[in-house]
Amino acid sequence: MRLSEISMNKYATITKNESQRLMAYRANIAAHSFGHLFEIMSQVIVWSVIYSKATILNGYTFQQMMTYVIVGWFILFATSNYGFEDKVAKDIHQGTLSNFLVKPFSYLRYMTAISIGRISFAMVVVVSLEVILLWFMRANLIFNNSVAHLLIVLLLMFFAYFIRLFFSILVGLASFWFVDISGFYYSFNIISKFLSGAFFPLSLLPAAFVKTSMWFPFAYTFFVPIQLYLGKLTLSQGLQAVAIQLAWLLGLYGIIKIVWYRGLRKYESAGI
Amino acid sequence: MPIIEVKNLTKVYDYYKKQPGLIASIKSLFKREKLFTEAVKAINFNIDEGELVGFLGPNGAGKTTTLKMLSGILHPSSGEATVLGFTPHKRQKEYQKQFALVMGQKNQLWWDLPAMESFILNKEIYEVSESDFKHNLDELVELLDIKDILDIQVRKLSLGQRMKCELVAALLHRPKILFLDEPTIGLDVVAQKNIRDFIKKYNKEKKTTIILTSHYMDDIRELCKRVVIIDHGKIIYDGLLDDLIKRYAPQKILKVTFNGQGITKKEAEIFGKVAKYNQYEIELEVGRDEVKDVAKNILSSEFPVDDIMIDEVDIDEVIRKIFKEEHQ
Repeated sequence: MRLSEISMNKYATITKNESQRLMAYRANIAAHSFGHLFEIMSQVIVWSVIYSKATILNGYTFQQMMTYVIVGWFILFATSNYGFEDKVAKDIHQGTLSNFLVKPFSYLRYMTAISIGRISFAMVVVVSLEVILLWFMRANLIFNNSVAHLLIVLLLMFFAYFIRLFFSILVGLASFWFVDISGFYYSFNIISKFLSGAFFPLSLLPAAFVKTSMWFPFAYTFFVPIQLYLGKLTLSQGLQAVAIQLAWLLGLYGIIKIVWYRGLRKYESAGI
Repeated sequence: MPIIEVKNLTKVYDYYKKQPGLIASIKSLFKREKLFTEAVKAINFNIDEGELVGFLGPNGAGKTTTLKMLSGILHPSSGEATVLGFTPHKRQKEYQKQFALVMGQKNQLWWDLPAMESFILNKEIYEVSESDFKHNLDELVELLDIKDILDIQVRKLSLGQRMKCELVAALLHRPKILFLDEPTIGLDVVAQKNIRDFIKKYNKEKKTTIILTSHYMDDIRELCKRVVIIDHGKIIYDGLLDDLIKRYAPQKILKVTFNGQGITKKEAEIFGKVAKYNQYEIELEVGRDEVKDVAKNILSSEFPVDDIMIDEVDIDEVIRKIFKEEHQ
């Protein structure tokens, strides 16, 4: 056997398998990226038209707005887990979960390992696309050179990834009780995207709304890191956001554990 | 000392009753009638190390439910199961490392990757050492003759090849106990035989305790000395297959073919009870002790005998008889 695999533990092997599996679907992933490009293009077009009538909108210059779109796109896709709810849901209602329950390992950790496998592969595509985008749009973008800012942005993204993953797992676990959850996660994804600021900057909305959205973790997965990148937040505010993310992660982890054990009890008695 | 002990094991499922129709569906949103079924009713059995036991029974009899309780997927509603000294539903790692479950209808291999990747993953999951892994893998690959397909994506394999790979994946950690739920389901005759031969050989060489459920009587006949017959959640027979046949099939079948004029039904009835008749071929049901004499009589008679064959009653027939009796 190859030497590199000897020291790998089980979860690392799962991560490796998943990214390898995805390579079998290169064409599909390329096709995905193509769609992303059009999504960005439409945003660029809409904002360009709007900014032809105004130079500044709720504190955003055209350059800042373009940066919001282009850097935001990177954050959105680098923290995505690509339809994880569905994977969890399928394992549960098709009964494949049984295969995992009889083995000496943890299903939740397995899922996390799979998800990391997905993102590591997708990352290659996402980063290359982002570099191309930055190059083409360079005249209209703001580049932040502060290493400290960039590091905290990356840290925020890192935790944002896990927040989104935990939510996806949680939504997927609803399958213990409901056979089909697709409507559920469709709505959830749109609402959370809206609250995260991925459709447009939250600051375009009334202050009360922005305040409310800060009660949810979603803004911290998108809006906050970009604000930091744009220099609209200070370093200490960035660090504070990291702390809030951590608190959310802990809370979500606890909820997942509870839901998991409750669901398992249901699964065990239903004998799927 | 039995390796598997099952005492009064019971599993009750609850489910909701729903009348057909839209109005009933709407009603059921508010009020649902809860119903219970006893999938397994206070069953008892012991299995010793190295045994290969067949679980037999119609769909929904409780075979799979029993296996799921033994492997820890399901909590028993009451009663207890002890396997290798462990309580399965506690899902202790020490227990999980010592058994494997293969379900013919569900696969554990990674669909989009070659089987080898799943094997490596199982090596990690079960913490098998590099040298054991290599040794076990080589041995299993040799036994099942699948050297050529290890590097092919699982989804491109035939069902038979996939089942072989499933077995390898399940056996890499050398489980002491193997639960096989319908391992030959959907396979063609040749593939069924291959899998069967492998199971037989593996059980003989490794002394692995195996519980097997199957719909195919050939599996049971070829593999299992002992059978446990389950119907409606109850064990209705637990013992040697041979004894089962003797008890429920006290007769043997005598098949005689004739040429020339053949034989009339009346003439045939002289020799014993005629189960099947046509002019050139008859089947007689004859008591085990009389079979030799009857055959001698036929051969020494003036009828133009072409061939004569002594056969056991078909096991399917025996089982059908048992279930029929049970339901009366």
